[in-house]
Amino acid sequence: MKEETSNHSRRKFLKSFGISVGAAGVVSSFSLIGAAKAAAKKPAEMVNLLTQDGQLVQVDKNQLRPTVTEPLDELQKRGREGIPGKSFVMVIDLSKCRNARKCMDACQNHHQLRQDQHHINVLQMQDAEHTAPYFMPKPCQHCDNPPCTKVCPVDATFKRQDGIVLIDNERCIGCRFCIAACPYSARIFQWTEPKDAEKYKDLTYNIEANVPQKKGTVSKCLFSADRLREDKLPSCVSACPNGVYYFGDQNEDAVTNGTTGETVRFSKLIEDNAGYTLMEELGTKPRVYYLPPKNRAFEFNGDLLNEENLH
Amino acid sequence: MKNTMKNIAALFLIFVFSGSMANAQGWTVPASAKKKQNPYEATSKNISSGKKIYNIQCKSCHGDPTMANMLPLAPVAPTDLGAQNFLVQSDGEIFYKVNKGQGAMPAFEKTISDEDKWMVIAFLRSFDKNKKVKQQVAEVKNPEVTDVKLELNVNEEDKTMLAKLSGLTDKGKRVGLQGIEMSFLVKRSFGYLDVSGEDPYTNETGDVQIQFPVDLPGDREGQVNMLVKVTDDAFYGKLEEARVVTLGVPTDPVNPLDERAMWGTRANAPIWIIVTFVGGVLAIWSVIFMVLFQMIKLPKLAKSKD
Repeated sequence: MKEETSNHSRRKFLKSFGISVGAAGVVSSFSLIGAAKAAAKKPAEMVNLLTQDGQLVQVDKNQLRPTVTEPLDELQKRGREGIPGKSFVMVIDLSKCRNARKCMDACQNHHQLRQDQHHINVLQMQDAEHTAPYFMPKPCQHCDNPPCTKVCPVDATFKRQDGIVLIDNERCIGCRFCIAACPYSARIFQWTEPKDAEKYKDLTYNIEANVPQKKGTVSKCLFSADRLREDKLPSCVSACPNGVYYFGDQNEDAVTNGTTGETVRFSKLIEDNAGYTLMEELGTKPRVYYLPPKNRAFEFNGDLLNEENLH
Repeated sequence: MKNTMKNIAALFLIFVFSGSMANAQGWTVPASAKKKQNPYEATSKNISSGKKIYNIQCKSCHGDPTMANMLPLAPVAPTDLGAQNFLVQSDGEIFYKVNKGQGAMPAFEKTISDEDKWMVIAFLRSFDKNKKVKQQVAEVKNPEVTDVKLELNVNEEDKTMLAKLSGLTDKGKRVGLQGIEMSFLVKRSFGYLDVSGEDPYTNETGDVQIQFPVDLPGDREGQVNMLVKVTDDAFYGKLEEARVVTLGVPTDPVNPLDERAMWGTRANAPIWIIVTFVGGVLAIWSVIFMVLFQMIKLPKLAKSKD
C-alpha cells in the first residue's frame, strides 16, 4: 500500500514537471521568435560583400547564412570529375636523365612526403648483364586500363575523364589491394603519421594533391592535378634541370618540355624516337611514355646515391 | 747530384704542365679542335635562328648573354656566354666544349645537330666586341622604317598562312621588310607549338608563307589559337598578332568515362558484372529463405502425418 502511494506521488511529480518544462519551452520559443522578428524590423547593421562577379554589395547582417556547400565537398566533386576535354600524357626522355633527383625533391615538397616516400623515383636500370645501365624516373603510369581501380572495394581510387588516376584519402580504408594490383609499384602506404602532420592538421584536404597526407591510407603520383587546373606543368616536370620530361594534352597532340619550355608534336616525338610504354604486354595502356636511353647526353657514372652524381 | 737535378726539373715541368691545365678552367681542348672555323656566315638569319636555339637549349642554365643572369649553381656556376672573356675563345673551342660537356654541362654532341650548334656560336659571336664589324657586312640591308606593320592572311582551304611585314620609309612609302624571321605559333595547353617550318624568313616584298600542318588537332570546330610574331624583338620591337583560325582538324575529345569498363567505379561498372553480381546475391538469399521455410514447414508436416 505504501509502495502504491509513493508510486503515485512520483507519477504526479513527473507529470507536473513535464508540464512546467513544456510550458517553459513554449514561452521561450515564443520569446525567441519575437526577438527574431524585432531584429528583422530593426534597421540592422549592413555588411559589405564582394560578389563572385566582382561587385561590392551591401547585405543585411540578419540575412547572412553560412555557405551551404562545404569547400571540402566542392574539392572532392571537381577532383572526381577532372578537367573536361583533356587527356594528359607524359613523355620521359631517358637519354637525358642523369639522376639529378630534382623531380623527386619537388614532388616530395608538393605532396608533403618524407625523403623515403616516393610518388616518383629515379631507378638505376640494367636490363641484362651486358647491356648499358641507365637512370629511369618512374611515376604512376596513369593507365587507361588501371588494375588498381578494379580492385578497390570502396570506390576510393578512380580514373577521371582527363585520364588521371586519383585516390580519395577520405574514402580509402587502407586495405592496400591497389598496392598489390599495381604492376609498377607506383603506390605507397602511410604506415606512420605523415610528415608535418601537426603543422597541416587544419588544412582542408585536397584530393588533387593528396594533401594533407593521411595515416593508414594509400598515396601516389597525381600528375600534380591541382597544378594542371591552373595550366601549370606538374612539379616534377618543371623542376627537372636536364629536359627529361615532356608533358601535355594528347587531344592537342602536343607536349611541352618542362626545362626548355619547347612544345613539340607528341606523335612525332614518339615516332621519331621509338617511344615505348612500360610492361605493355599487361594491357594496362600507360599514359607515361619513355624514349629509349640512346645517344645519352650524360655518361652513366655508376652509383645511384653517390653525391658526385647528383647534378 | 745530376739525378736529383733531373728529378727536380721533371717535378717542375709536371708542376708547370698541371698549372696550365688548371688555368683553362681545367678544360683542355685539343689543338685540332681549336682550329675549326664556323662554316656558317654571321648573317642576321643565322644569328636569329641561333638565338632561337640558344633560348631553348642554353638559356635555362646560362641565362641571357651579357646579362649575367645564369643559374647560381655550385661549385661552378655556368659562364655568361656573352662575356668578352668567354668570347676570346675560338669558334672551334666553343664548339668542342658544347659537344663534350663537363661537370654539370651536358654533352650536346648528339642532342643538337652541328648546324644548330654553329648557329648558336654565330649568335654568341654577335656579342663579341672584336668581331662586330665583320658581321655587319653580311647583313641584309633594310631601309630605315617607322610604323612597322604585320598583316596576316589565312587561306583555310589549302591551310596556308601569309604574313606580310612592312614599314613606312622616310619618304612616306610603304615597303616590305626582307630577311626577317617570323614565328608561327599554335597555342597548346602548356606552351606554343612552332609550326613555322624550315624557312620562315620574309622575302623581298616582306611576305612569308607557311603551310599549316594538315593533321594538327584543333577543338570541336577545328579552331586553334594562332600567334604570329617577329621572332627577334631586337629588330622592330615586340610585333605580334593573335588570331583564332579554323585550320586544325576538328577533334571531339573522348571521355573515357562514357564507356562502362572493368576499371570504372560503381557507377561505371559493366552491365554484365552488375547483373551477375545482383543475380548471384539474389540466388543465394533465395536458397537460404527456401531452406528456412522448409524448416518452418517441418513441424506442421510432422503433425499432419500424426
